Amino acid sequence: MTAGSLAHGAPAEVDQLYVETRELRLQGFLLFLISDCVLFSSFIFAYLYMRNSGQGWPPPGIQRLDVAFAAWNSVVLFGSGATMHYALENFKHGHWMRYMWFLLATIVLGLGFLGGQGYEYTHLIYGEHVTWAGSGIFGASFFTLTGMHGFHVFIGVCYLTTLVLQSAAGVYTRGKYFGITAGTLYWHFVDVIWVVLFSIFYLL
Amino acid sequence: MAVAAVHSGGIAGHIHPEPQGFVRRYVFSLDHKIIGIQYIITGFVFFMLSGLLAEAIRTQLLNPNGGFVAAGTYNEIYSVHGSAMVWLVVIPLLTGGFGNLVFPVQIGARDVAFPWLNMLSFWIFPVSGLMLFASFLMGAPTAGWMEYPPVSLQGEAGTSMWCAAIFLVGVSSTITGINFVVTILKMRAPGMTFTRMPLFVWGQFATAPLLMIATTALAAALAALFIERQFGVPFYDPTRGGSPVMWQHMFWFYSHPAVYIMILPAFGIISEVLPTFARKPIFGYKLIAFSSMAIALAGFMVWAHHMFTSGLAPFLQLPFMIITFVIGVPTGIKIFSWTATLFGGKIHFTTAMLFAIGFVALFTLGGITGIFLAAIPFDLHVHGTYFVVAHLHYVLVGGSLMAIFAGIYYWFPKMSGRLMNETLGKWHFWLFFIGFNATFIPMHWLGVLGMPREVATYDPQFTFWNRFESVSSYLMTISILIFFVNLLWSIRNGKVAGANPWGGRTLEWQIPSPPHYYNFKHIPTVYGLPYDFSQPLPYKGLEEELTDSPPPVAAGAH
Repeated sequence: MTAGSLAHGAPAEVDQLYVETRELRLQGFLLFLISDCVLFSSFIFAYLYMRNSGQGWPPPGIQRLDVAFAAWNSVVLFGSGATMHYALENFKHGHWMRYMWFLLATIVLGLGFLGGQGYEYTHLIYGEHVTWAGSGIFGASFFTLTGMHGFHVFIGVCYLTTLVLQSAAGVYTRGKYFGITAGTLYWHFVDVIWVVLFSIFYLL
Repeated sequence: MAVAAVHSGGIAGHIHPEPQGFVRRYVFSLDHKIIGIQYIITGFVFFMLSGLLAEAIRTQLLNPNGGFVAAGTYNEIYSVHGSAMVWLVVIPLLTGGFGNLVFPVQIGARDVAFPWLNMLSFWIFPVSGLMLFASFLMGAPTAGWMEYPPVSLQGEAGTSMWCAAIFLVGVSSTITGINFVVTILKMRAPGMTFTRMPLFVWGQFATAPLLMIATTALAAALAALFIERQFGVPFYDPTRGGSPVMWQHMFWFYSHPAVYIMILPAFGIISEVLPTFARKPIFGYKLIAFSSMAIALAGFMVWAHHMFTSGLAPFLQLPFMIITFVIGVPTGIKIFSWTATLFGGKIHFTTAMLFAIGFVALFTLGGITGIFLAAIPFDLHVHGTYFVVAHLHYVLVGGSLMAIFAGIYYWFPKMSGRLMNETLGKWHFWLFFIGFNATFIPMHWLGVLGMPREVATYDPQFTFWNRFESVSSYLMTISILIFFVNLLWSIRNGKVAGANPWGGRTLEWQIPSPPHYYNFKHIPTVYGLPYDFSQPLPYKGLEEELTDSPPPVAAGAH
């Protein structure tokens, strides 16, 4: 599949069966995101519950988290949301090369976010001696929730890398690109979760 | 384009090539009916195992000082009994089992929306079941099916195994829920509007979102428990700042909706069996359908009524009590609608019908004790006693399990093409009904008198009724054995059923028994409700279903 054939080629064949299974997959995927959202919500509930259990927050002996660094890291993640959006739009309009560049940029930004998180974890664990198991409910809730989110970002990066390989192999055409739609939805979902986590861990 | 010719009926019109070979047909099958039967068989295997555990419990309680098993073993037994009955028997049988088996046909579809996910969902289930029972090898959980910390934090290694097993079976439930929601939303036959769907489909439609949403909340709670046990990360341990009450919140946020997961499909089964054998339109179709949705919705707002003794603030207790009372209203609507359906009907007392009527009676009793328990002052008195055990067995055995039996007797001809033996069936029903009531009615007053649940011994003043219960419970076991004999015998030797032995009017009875793998030769068009007995069937396009004509196309793979 080359850029030319997508942009200027004959109109894509409309496969009726594909159109209808696409609807099913889209709904199924949205429902999956809802149930994933419940998973995060439960942990967020647990965090807020423990936070309000009367021990004060952050608990004695623990510094407030570094908002500035996390804010920059958030900008990286939200930027990746924007590039993912442009990747999908460019694919829809047949700009194949731009799609690939935006997709790669998304992957790089996603990895950048993970790197930032890794730096933050290292700083917390070795600099401030705040650990997962050894710092009471603070370590438990912070590392579990942000770790779970980071794991989602990692899965997303793997997914997008697969998309790059599949796209290079010509799997997706202008009429058939549900895999890219699903990836975009997932990536935006992970972004939105981060908005909530950033608010309740760093700003609250 | 070839595709257009094949898919005249859209995705529902698509016929996959028939799977070849035993493995692809019966083991790793994509056919929703086969998967449903696989669920039912696996579910009944686990039913036998956890039934044996139940009999071990009753045998222990023959004497005030026990003596059948050690007290620690007794704790393991009732914990695994409860967990297995909830997650490996009732939920999979009602959703994965009957859901898969029946509702895609009832909405006029050829399969569920995601057959591969359906197969995945099934195969996770026996694996997690084996994991749960394997926990006996490493010291099974001992804190009951609720596994409250801190006791569950101190349990043997098997408790972590329990977490993993329940987490996995939860993944299976979630997948099933997503699959069913999409199937019902998108794959109904032409003319099958929401207000023409059979009530069993409504039951599944109310249940599937609960499976999908509530189960993930449990997954979070289990993951946290697992992490705390394995890695020492404090969530629930009060000595390290965690909160055991938090587990109760997260657990019951799942497990209260879960009791509706275990009863809404059962309501659906009853709503099919009653009109068929009363030969009368169901009374209050829309009320039954919408009350299921109301129950599902309100089910998310009542979880803390399990926690009245856990130190909840009074201003929180009151709303939970009131909303719990409110759930009695849609449930009562159903009971009255079923009773009104029976009123003036021409009732055929088949075994399926006996179980359905038994369901209405016993579930009403269980529901009423549920209203008792919702009242805070009463709950404070009987919390953690056998009154609660009686209540939950009346709704889960007298309710869900009776409905499962009704469903088996009702749909067995559709699964196998043969009828089950009615004489054995009636023996099964009467022994089960009498044995069940004799086992669980005395628990009500034992509970009010203060006999605590989940203890291996008891005060000698309760000896008589406990012996009475144990002996009665053996009666239930005998009836279950009769049921299994009937099942195995009827597969080969039952009377040939034909397409529609009961005169049912929903779509599954309009096609051969057992149905072809593609269900319908032509997707029918639906013109009305299936329950208007005395009217012609509200379907068009079914003329060829019972003839030998081949399906219109056997499309190539895609």
